[in-house]
Amino acid sequence: MKHFSEEDLIAYQLHESSDEGAISTHLENCSECADLSESIAETLRVFSADPVPQPDLEHNWQRLRGNLRVLTPERPRGFELFRWRWAWPVAGLATAALILLTVFGTHIHRAGETRHNIAVNGHGPLTTEPTDPAIANHLDAAERLLTEVNNSSGPLDDATREQAHSLLLQNAVYVRNARNSGDLAEAAVLENFGRVLTTLDNEPPTSHSTWRLRLEMNTSGLLLDIRILRQNDDHSQGASQ
Amino acid sequence: MSNRRMDKAETEAIQHVLAGNRDAYRVLMERHFCSVTRVAFRITGNEADAEEAAQEAFLRAYNKLPSFRQDSTFSTWIMRITMNTAINLVERRNRDLSYRAPRISDEPSATDHTVKIADRQAGPEGVLLNREAAGLRQAAMAELTPMERTAFTLRHMEDIPMGEIAAALNVTTNSAKQAVFRAVSKLRRSLTPIAGGLR
Repeated sequence: MKHFSEEDLIAYQLHESSDEGAISTHLENCSECADLSESIAETLRVFSADPVPQPDLEHNWQRLRGNLRVLTPERPRGFELFRWRWAWPVAGLATAALILLTVFGTHIHRAGETRHNIAVNGHGPLTTEPTDPAIANHLDAAERLLTEVNNSSGPLDDATREQAHSLLLQNAVYVRNARNSGDLAEAAVLENFGRVLTTLDNEPPTSHSTWRLRLEMNTSGLLLDIRILRQNDDHSQGASQ
Repeated sequence: MSNRRMDKAETEAIQHVLAGNRDAYRVLMERHFCSVTRVAFRITGNEADAEEAAQEAFLRAYNKLPSFRQDSTFSTWIMRITMNTAINLVERRNRDLSYRAPRISDEPSATDHTVKIADRQAGPEGVLLNREAAGLRQAAMAELTPMERTAFTLRHMEDIPMGEIAAALNVTTNSAKQAVFRAVSKLRRSLTPIAGGLR
């Protein structure tokens, strides 16, 4: 008899499974899976919603209002006309810059891609030993930051840049730990991530910098590597329990 | 969080704010502060941090209001900012070794960032059991990464659809689902000592 995995049963209990009917039928005939499913249901019951304290709206408004600056009204119409007169030359320059960056970026992109794809794909599973649990947090934060970088169309906001700076400081420690433990694949991915962070930390925030970073440093490829690392990290921790 | 279009009052409030009227922002705050604080509480796990995250989220939203394109509702937008702000706050707390994480103590107090939820029907023994159970739950939740905790609490406790959680966290729906599954798996294992072994 084919049993369902823990993940399948969690999805079933959360009503996120696309195979609900088949799982339900299976649970009626398989005591092993039924026990596991009940254990998951019990977990969800134990971690059900606690009451949430109600905030004091007036107090919070007064606190917030003190920090609000007066926002600048929209630009006057005359400025818009002035801006549109320059639209064509600006568009021409932007197109030329785009072509140059594409040629330049593709070259670097290829070099970077080869390097870390070998690191991830050339060694099978990245880790087989349980790793430092704190790295799970680091990889989560890395994934969110890279997703933000990949999805942003303009310059990154101050909070994201601050987060990049903070991750940069931590990343060096994880690179060193990975090297010390002989996990060269993990070290290579984290080193690439460190390069992205260094660029983010040092480059002035312009409307093109995020876009160029994505292209030059292949952040989408790196994001995939980070996700693989995190999955391997998670599996190795699960196996240890 | 919903995809319905913003109503007239919110659109007008935004226009007034952008025209320089700070007090118009109160309309948006009164409508959304409670739900924002609720989500922040789920992510941070304590009242003080939840209010701090909610305050920061509303301030960031205000400062970004000139670039808010209104192709999503204000509630969806502020919720997205809140989740990121609250996760960043949790990560900052985790990095700060001097900060004592939220926990249950015998004498809960705001200064120690401990939470007590009153149970008027329980006797002394019941109160003690409630505290112990809450302490175990909090310890287990503290083992989750901020993303796992966020995805789990919002899906399971707030019943927010996975797609909206993923959009707010800026990850794919599959990544958000995996985060929830990992969270449930870890929490189930954390119950092993008191359940007498996993079945």
